[in-house]
Amino acid sequence: MKLKILIASLTSCSGCISSVLSSDIFPQFLERIKLSYFPFISDENKIEECDIALIEGCISMDSQIELLKDIRNNAKKVYALGTCAAFGGILSLSEKKKAGAISDVVQIDGIIPGCPPPLKLIGNCLIRLIENKEIKLSEKNLCSSCPLRGNNNIPFEKPVNKLNPSNDELTIFNEKSNCFLDNGILCLGPITREGCDHICIEQGIPCEGCLGPVSKDYTSNLINFLSLINLSKDLTKYKGIFYRFSKPKIGW
Amino acid sequence: MIQKVIDVCTRVEGHGNVKIYIQNDEISNVEFEILAFRGFENILIGKKLSDVPKIVSRICGLCHASQTIVSCKSIEEMYNIKVNQQSVLVRRLLMAGELLKSHSMHYFFQSFPDLLNIFKIYTKPIDIYDLIKYNPQLTSHIYEIIKIGNDIDKLFGGRSIHAITPIPGGVIYRPSRNRIIIVEKYFLRVLSNLEWIIKNFIDLFSKFNPPEDFVIPNVNFLSLSNNKSYDRYDGILTIKKGLAEYQDFRLEEYIDYFDKDPTIRGIDFTDKNHNYLVGPISRNQVVESYGSDEISGYLSLFDEKWRNNILYASFLNLIEMYVESQNSLKILEDPILKSTIPLPNLKSIISREGIGVVEAPRGSLIHHYRINKRNVLKEAKLFIATEINIALINNMISNYARKLYEKKDLNKVKKEIQKIIRAFDPCISCATH
Ligand code: SF4
Ligand code: SF4
Ligand code: SF4
Repeated sequence: MKLKILIASLTSCSGCISSVLSSDIFPQFLERIKLSYFPFISDENKIEECDIALIEGCISMDSQIELLKDIRNNAKKVYALGTCAAFGGILSLSEKKKAGAISDVVQIDGIIPGCPPPLKLIGNCLIRLIENKEIKLSEKNLCSSCPLRGNNNIPFEKPVNKLNPSNDELTIFNEKSNCFLDNGILCLGPITREGCDHICIEQGIPCEGCLGPVSKDYTSNLINFLSLINLSKDLTKYKGIFYRFSKPKIGW
Repeated sequence: MIQKVIDVCTRVEGHGNVKIYIQNDEISNVEFEILAFRGFENILIGKKLSDVPKIVSRICGLCHASQTIVSCKSIEEMYNIKVNQQSVLVRRLLMAGELLKSHSMHYFFQSFPDLLNIFKIYTKPIDIYDLIKYNPQLTSHIYEIIKIGNDIDKLFGGRSIHAITPIPGGVIYRPSRNRIIIVEKYFLRVLSNLEWIIKNFIDLFSKFNPPEDFVIPNVNFLSLSNNKSYDRYDGILTIKKGLAEYQDFRLEEYIDYFDKDPTIRGIDFTDKNHNYLVGPISRNQVVESYGSDEISGYLSLFDEKWRNNILYASFLNLIEMYVESQNSLKILEDPILKSTIPLPNLKSIISREGIGVVEAPRGSLIHHYRINKRNVLKEAKLFIATEINIALINNMISNYARKLYEKKDLNKVKKEIQKIIRAFDPCISCATH
């Protein structure tokens, strides 16, 4: 029997599901499973019993809770696909809207983090799901394998006063460059899970934390980290960092 | 009494409903309704300029490059910076990659099954498994284009969705011969696939007259045009009214045409009698040349009946992918891509506000920002293609629904009007920004 799979979106940009659609493995995935619900590409709009549910997007409206619970009741396993579903995501920046992780209202069996999740990670996860295995994520942070770190310790004591390198600093960036924190530029690598091949860092841009932390709670990780480093007043007050991909959990 | 019937749209990007209002056993009105409203215009308030492009990218996973790039353009206007030619070329490549993916997904998953059904070539319900088996060659050609579009944006954007490299001032870019060779092969491959797909479209559909219910009523076509040529990055916004009346759209004075209250969803048009249309059809109407001989041959196979029909947008999707692949091949030959050119530093702000425009795959996309004394955003207005088209969508689906309901079969109404909606290729993520 083929596994029945459901793919649903809550409040999202559709970037996660479009990543799934464009991953190398998707055609093979489609053949090996039975897609039971995926409104993006299919007219089928009833939620039925299934083996695996992948959910993209955050909860921003009460009406989504019912849908989510319905899915949970019908699915043997539920996974959060992407950072919106896993942590709340970009809508956390809103002061007016709620942005809940799906785990706020239903139990989940795992996450595939990232905004969007790296294609390699999606590929690996889809294969493991077809084989009915658990998703495996690295338990290390981004710094542990960062090309800018070498054997050095992370310079937590340096004053940090910039969000991004200025454009002339960018052009001189190369593999011999220092850790961003060394240069006074905020990098969330220390509290971010590895798994993206350092794609931002390789372009000369610090990590904004899109894969989320290794241990569960995004906000407490961020509070600890920001209090550990020597962050300028301007950046301490800047909400764009603190609420970038998650905010403290609220009740529904 | 007015009865309201709600139906969920399927095979559209995001969550949309149609609301059908029935009064005295007749359909009075139909609205295409978009539920979640995220409020990005509110999110942007208080954000630093360097942070804004990265945030707006998350409005949409399909036109993320356009969102990021129009944001950079708006900010560059404030700094009065002229982006170097290399960055412009890379931005164009990113937008081409995005278009390949967005248009090919829309064509295959949304338009193609509807076209088969509308022209009675395949009348049974078609599910995703029927679709991929329908013509395996089409499936594999399309699939390859989706992946190539994705890869191109990964190669030039650092990430295939929510690109990292476009920043205010240009694009982070290090020349690499290897990358150029790979991407050249990609575009050649896309062109050869597209030749097949375009021919397939012509063989299947060109002999038919498109249905009248899908005819676009009298509208204002709005699109960028660069000296009357096709260009999605640079140019002047132009309105075409009726058959041949062209007007420049004064971007700086857009409130003469439409405006919005950024705290609520939707656009208000000054001229309530004329709807606007943006997207491939408007580009086709406004622009006089795609700059490609092959294209003129293909286009000549379709007459005026097609040109004024919303179903033509799906053919234009294929045409635009073809044009942009040809243009991209020219870009890849440009020696400027081989040199290392530093990006200008963002020094002092010259203007407290900036307006930018690009043509996203689904049509004209305008961002307008104002900053406060601390140089963080105090107001943002985003005019997004799907939002601009909604008035016209509602007009067309209402007319069609009224006519269909003469037979009193509500299920048929629900099913059929969705075909019009899908033909517009609405992007609900964008529209719920
Ligand atoms: S996690 Fe990122 S890519 Fe995925 S839906 Fe949310 S904003 Fe889009
Ligand atoms: S803080 Fe950032 S730059 Fe420094 S080692 Fe960690 S990931 Fe690398
Ligand atoms: S470097 Fe950080 S922000 Fe960039 S993709 Fe990786 S986890 Fe996400």
